[in-house]
Amino acid sequence: MGKKIFFNGISVICFLVLLIVVLTGCSPSQSAGNVPTQPTKAESTQSTNSSTAVPGVTSTSPGIEGSAITIVIPEDPPSFNAVISDSGYDALVMHMVMLGLTAIDPGGKVYPVLAAELPSQENGAVTIDKDGKMDVTWKLRSDVTWSDGTAVTVDDVIFTYSAIIDAKTGSWIPGIDLVTGVDKIDKYQFVVHFSSVYPSFLTLFGNRQVVIWPSHYCKAEQGFQSWDCGRKPLSDGPFMLDEWVTGDHLIFVRNPKFYETGKPGIDKVIVKIIPDPTVRETMMRQGDADLLMWATEQVADNLKNDTNVKVSISPSSRFVMRLFINLAAKDSTDAAANPNPFFTDVRVRQAIRAAIDVDTISNSVWHGFAVPVWTEFFRPPYNQCNIPRPKFDPEAAKSLLEQAGWIDIDGDGIRECKGCKTAKDGEKFKFELITYSEYGEPLTLTQQLIGEMLKNIGIQTDLLEVQGSIMWADTASGGIEQTGNFNMDLYDDGYAGNDPTDFIWQYYNSASATPDNGWNIGRWVNPQLDDLLNQAYTLDEPIRQKTFCDIAKLLDEQLPQILLFSTLNADAFSTRLKGVEANVNSVVSWNAADWTIIK
Amino acid sequence: MAQYVVRRLMQAVVIMFLLSILFFALVNLAPGGPLAGYGQARRIPPERIAILKRQLGLDKPIPFQFVVWLIGNDWMNVDMNGDGLPDSPGTRHGVLRGDFGYSFRSRQPVLDEIFIRLPNTIYLMSVTMLVALVIAIPIGVISAIKQYSLFDIAVTTFAFAGQALPDFWLGLILIIIFYVWLKNPVTGDPLLPVGGIYTIGAPFSIVDRVAHLIMPVTAGALGWLAWYSRFLRSSMLDVINQDYLRTARAKGLSEGKVMFKHALRNALIPLVTLLALDLPYIFGGAVFIEMLFSWPGMGLLYYQAALQRDYPILMAVLIIGGISIILSNLLADVLYAYLDPRIRYS
Repeated sequence: MGKKIFFNGISVICFLVLLIVVLTGCSPSQSAGNVPTQPTKAESTQSTNSSTAVPGVTSTSPGIEGSAITIVIPEDPPSFNAVISDSGYDALVMHMVMLGLTAIDPGGKVYPVLAAELPSQENGAVTIDKDGKMDVTWKLRSDVTWSDGTAVTVDDVIFTYSAIIDAKTGSWIPGIDLVTGVDKIDKYQFVVHFSSVYPSFLTLFGNRQVVIWPSHYCKAEQGFQSWDCGRKPLSDGPFMLDEWVTGDHLIFVRNPKFYETGKPGIDKVIVKIIPDPTVRETMMRQGDADLLMWATEQVADNLKNDTNVKVSISPSSRFVMRLFINLAAKDSTDAAANPNPFFTDVRVRQAIRAAIDVDTISNSVWHGFAVPVWTEFFRPPYNQCNIPRPKFDPEAAKSLLEQAGWIDIDGDGIRECKGCKTAKDGEKFKFELITYSEYGEPLTLTQQLIGEMLKNIGIQTDLLEVQGSIMWADTASGGIEQTGNFNMDLYDDGYAGNDPTDFIWQYYNSASATPDNGWNIGRWVNPQLDDLLNQAYTLDEPIRQKTFCDIAKLLDEQLPQILLFSTLNADAFSTRLKGVEANVNSVVSWNAADWTIIK
Repeated sequence: MAQYVVRRLMQAVVIMFLLSILFFALVNLAPGGPLAGYGQARRIPPERIAILKRQLGLDKPIPFQFVVWLIGNDWMNVDMNGDGLPDSPGTRHGVLRGDFGYSFRSRQPVLDEIFIRLPNTIYLMSVTMLVALVIAIPIGVISAIKQYSLFDIAVTTFAFAGQALPDFWLGLILIIIFYVWLKNPVTGDPLLPVGGIYTIGAPFSIVDRVAHLIMPVTAGALGWLAWYSRFLRSSMLDVINQDYLRTARAKGLSEGKVMFKHALRNALIPLVTLLALDLPYIFGGAVFIEMLFSWPGMGLLYYQAALQRDYPILMAVLIIGGISIILSNLLADVLYAYLDPRIRYS
């Protein structure tokens, strides 16, 4: 019996070993998950192979010849369509292979890409009729082709527009609901009809999120969100996708049919998926990576003295860390019927702002990269309102709280209501300060510091972290903000591009204060703001500038949100890579065609 | 035995059905959702959110979503354009017909996403467990034979340390040593690659594949090695004290034959059973190892899907995990009966 058992045991182990060996053979080959070769791959491969070996990436890419660089990002781009998920990584790869009508440079200036010129009222391409309807006539460049040689024409623009608005399979881009139609004039000219004035018309089909898709290559019936060309794109940009091994890497080669002669300056770009942030940073230090997208404050600080790495910081930042104050009582979304017991009095909000030392937070948590921000209009071109920076003044904060009827009666260091407007006498000033967990340590530490600073003026906070998918879910999914299940939240947000109008509408307009109808989660309803915002939907820049300054003043007085500081917008790159420029209005690949390598 | 296996498989079907209900409810009833924050910083009207929900199949009650997930909706008309009226047949075939749906994030078929990563995980975890086993068996045997010796004490200490060390910490240490500090004396490159399965652009090479395996396998195998070696030591000690070994010695067999011919083969039986029970790990992967060493596997897929509330991916991974656990338990029972004739199932 023992012998039989022994041999049975051996045979089972052998079976397991054999199974493992067989399964090992299932490991992916080099070409696993490759995208089909594009029509011009042969040409591009020929071009690549003719180049010389690249120093610096040989340890990870000895087989890559020509001038090649490696970009490291933490996760696969969901697709090449940045409209679907807006993860940023989709925009990164999208801008390497495809073009929109326009784009915005780091200074906030719109420039034409596929468009031959920017339409304006001055050149007669933008007209507004007596009913306020707006028509914008665009002219495309006639020298741009897809990588298969087909010309990029108005048919592609109309195809893209139709795909986006398809109710069955389409999606959403800002401003698209104001578009009533797109009409072809000729092969390279078309007109976009708007139901009303839309100030951001220049970037509707461009900038960070939107590109023009090839009508002869994408299959409309597959839908804008799911079509195959979203993962196997045809290129009209500087590079073409050569290979995508899901979860591992993407390889791009230069597009020989790119319309700008002599560009791109690099033959090959490898985008490697490196989930761990420490490993990404280490690869930069070791010279195995050339570009680290979205360098955090910690990474920027770590790399600032590294001789092989530089950090490009955008002239202005997008995301502003801020306190979202619920003016409705917790679990309510109606600030008029159920005012918040703590924050309804504006003096309390002013006190909280005065109690927070932004400079200390910036230096101790954000490595000095956080820039104090106290108005929504801090980015060009609308940063000319001269709203004075609020002072950090805990004593003034205490005084304001006492004026508002919050006094420490029992001497325990926490204030109680004594004659305050909306709380019962004796109620302690104590609430939950919520933030989201995905951001990580800097936000957690910021939350703790704010908690300490508020404690110094007699306000007690219970600190809570939740997942973003819980904080920002809709009411049906139990979203904390949409259901009003919070007193105060802390996180960062800001607007893409150079037009704050939609962002302000989304966060402050009274129409956005109803659940699931926007993100005025503080339920701050102010008719004056609504009127001002309506005035901002104009093409008259002086009026817009004045209107935005009026809004800035109103927000500064009323403090529906307390803005604290902007976070860093930066990308780290190797010193051998030239031309990298962080762009808060787009992603780092916005000018990939201009990148070069020092040989 | 055949009847027993058939009966267990039938039970497995029922268990999987109940599990799928539980998984679906847990995944969908958890607060939050995949469209969280959608439209933030955009002026997106609620009706567009409704369209997106309908496209993802999130507009219906959860029981209905489960039915569609299970049996599809191609047998009925659905409202695709949002006018409230069913207008065209659905496109989902349902899990029972092999359609796990589409990833919310990538809009790719779930099974495509799974099958891209599953071989990578099986590859890594198989090698990890094989390495752990190959080292653990002799260590366990020697520890048992030389109980309380210096070797045994050292191995015991090592085993506890191996089980206590977090694999991501060990992985970071390995990266610092073999990627940052140590260089290839010829090329000057790091001694070992920091991640991935192979060198991008390089021709296929066994050496290259092995080089990419060394760090993740080492970081992952240490815990398994400690676990298996301790288990085998204990199993050997149980066997060593059995009467039939005393009989074997009394018959004049050498100590080597007693140990390796009589003791080890009996001690291995529970280990084989244990191995069968550990099979689900081969399919599930190791999140931290995959993340640290940029290994595109199932663990990483599950982790990212959980963070992004990619329900179809989550459900598929959970179902695969459930099936592999049920089948590995069945396999363990069958193997046990096969290896030990004293065991009979009725």
